[in-house]
Amino acid sequence: MGVTAILFWILSSLALLSAIMIVVSKNPVHSVLWLILVFFAISGHYLLLNAQFLAIVNIIVYAGAIMVLFLYVLMLIDLKKIVDPQRSLWIKLVGVATGCCLLLVLIAALSKADQTTALTQTIGGNIGLVENLGKILFSEYLVPFEISSILFLSAMVGAVVIGKK
Amino acid sequence: MNEVPLTHILVLSTALFFIGMFGLFTRRNMITILMSVELILNSVNINFVAFNKYLFPEKLDGVFFVLFIIAIAAAEAALAIAIIINLYRNHQSIDVDDATEMKF
Amino acid sequence: MNALIVTAVLGVMMMFSSIVLKRNSAIRMLAIVGLLFTFIANVLDSSGVHFFSINIKGMMHFDQFAYFFISISIFCTFIFFLLSAKEMERIGVNYSEYFALIFFILCGIILVASFTSLLILFLGIEIISIPLYILTGSDKKNLKSNEASLKYFLLGAFSTGIMLMGIALFYGSTGSFSVENSVVIAATTSPMLLIGILLLLFSMSFKVSAAPFHFWAPDVYDGAPTVFTSFMATIVKAAAFIAFIRLFSLAFTPLQDRWQLIVAVIIALTLFVGNITAVFQQSVKRMLAYSSIAQSGFMLMALLAFNTFSVEGILLYIVAYSISTMGIFSVLVKMKDSSLEEFNGFAKHQPVLAVALTVFLLSLAGIPLTAGFLSKFYMLKAVMHSGNFLWLIIFAVLMAAVSVYYYFRIIQVMFFKESDSNTIIVSTSFKWLLSALAIIIIVLGVYPQLLLQFLV
Repeated sequence: MGVTAILFWILSSLALLSAIMIVVSKNPVHSVLWLILVFFAISGHYLLLNAQFLAIVNIIVYAGAIMVLFLYVLMLIDLKKIVDPQRSLWIKLVGVATGCCLLLVLIAALSKADQTTALTQTIGGNIGLVENLGKILFSEYLVPFEISSILFLSAMVGAVVIGKK
Repeated sequence: MNEVPLTHILVLSTALFFIGMFGLFTRRNMITILMSVELILNSVNINFVAFNKYLFPEKLDGVFFVLFIIAIAAAEAALAIAIIINLYRNHQSIDVDDATEMKF
Repeated sequence: MNALIVTAVLGVMMMFSSIVLKRNSAIRMLAIVGLLFTFIANVLDSSGVHFFSINIKGMMHFDQFAYFFISISIFCTFIFFLLSAKEMERIGVNYSEYFALIFFILCGIILVASFTSLLILFLGIEIISIPLYILTGSDKKNLKSNEASLKYFLLGAFSTGIMLMGIALFYGSTGSFSVENSVVIAATTSPMLLIGILLLLFSMSFKVSAAPFHFWAPDVYDGAPTVFTSFMATIVKAAAFIAFIRLFSLAFTPLQDRWQLIVAVIIALTLFVGNITAVFQQSVKRMLAYSSIAQSGFMLMALLAFNTFSVEGILLYIVAYSISTMGIFSVLVKMKDSSLEEFNGFAKHQPVLAVALTVFLLSLAGIPLTAGFLSKFYMLKAVMHSGNFLWLIIFAVLMAAVSVYYYFRIIQVMFFKESDSNTIIVSTSFKWLLSALAIIIIVLGVYPQLLLQFLV
């Protein structure tokens, strides 16, 4: 077992464990902190997969921006009132059972797929760096890039319309 | 990365996907539900990157899709926070089950 | 491409218009003129006059069908503005922003009508959804509106998650995002692709509110301000259908036999749930929400069978359904609340409007001589031509008969009940407009070729 494999197993177990902690921990602030841990683990996976730029963006956008936003909101809202709203155990058990069934089906199908047996060596170490990405983003993906600005505009207008008193 | 087969990464992402689903359906706190949504999106992102790097490394399609997903997820989260704060202002609660004005 | 850029620019213009224009009527006028300009730009585009030459790298393809649908949705939005733009003033202070958001939604509609890459589909659906979450929650003081917005957002995000998983699996098995038959044929045996198609099917069913993924629709349509409900339930829904049909007809026809039965079951469920639940509703707004679910059952039939009938039928259906539903909603907006009692004795006070409403309701119920009948007929004929699914046709006709009951209940209340309460005040131009729409419905019901001749 090489270094990457060991790292993979550590990161995977970290991600899964923290993900489970998000949905089971009663205090939403703890959930946010666990989620940040998940994001770091996922960024680690991106690094292993040679997508360095994505790893950094993931941390900056998710852990840096979105999670801080969440924490702020949780601070604005009176925490004492919102702790511990849980559903009944019965619903949870049913949820787990159906979820696991679906999961098994999906995993079985995925592992049977013939592509998954193929193992391609990733080309070079620097393909995920900013330079390569930028060149393609502003040539091949220029139209969707411009289009997504419409989306941000509308989200901006919306946040103002809804959030303003 | 050739020591880890693609299947393992797919299993990881699928498991994260369903943990997110589980959170979405069983939690009642709106912020936690929102976090579950983010978890689902992240699991999809791992899938895209893994497919890109293992099966189609000659083009960077998957990576770009992930970039767009991250950007849009950020916009959506900001909007969701606005909606939740507005609801909290009127309702003084962020429990989804308290939002029962329309159930009949 | 013309219309896309023009709507985006107009959206930005509307955003800033409230700085320059102080009066609401001026903002409204600007929006209507802008929409007219967009319509002209699109028609010019379809006849070969392109304002811009942009290399879209094969991510979009504007065919005649796409142009035609874009024209239809711009036209319907135009009618929507004429009918109910004034009512938006009552919702909140952000009058010009509402127009900006509607223009952004139009952008998204243009994207989903012309995509050939799943990336554009994803962006388009998000551009449609995000302004809709806002419009749903725009009545900020109203708890119902807030809840509807939140519910819509959570379920929308959930279905987006499913859709992205579907796209990821599609990408994993084909190696590209382009929606082409050839891409799919190369990977037909892959179980990953099948799961991807299934997930895409589910998420798109969410967006078009087909059963069993419809449960968000009644609450959201009921909670949203009535003006925006009429926009959401008609034009936006039609766009979701076009995206759905485009995706499956372009890419997944080689695997048709795998998913056709699922679609048939979804249609049957949608028809059943929509029609049966609509019967028990006391609020007209909620009844219309369920009726829109029921109507989407019929529209989904275009997915089951791709042939000339279904292509013509879906467009006719969209026009007939949108105009009728918007007409009914435009009257509903002016009423105090949306209970059935509000319509008591409506024919006495407003005979012209009552007749127009009757035409709309008859069209929705699918009574002959209206466009609604002909569009339902086209759909059933399309399914008939595709061979199997005779049971579905019989079931659909049965359910259409059920729908007659709840549509006729409104007509009966309007004409045969007495009421002493004072009724709504409408302008003469509104009456003229509504009568004109009723005439359009009848004319299209007799000569559908007037509309369909443009689709060559």
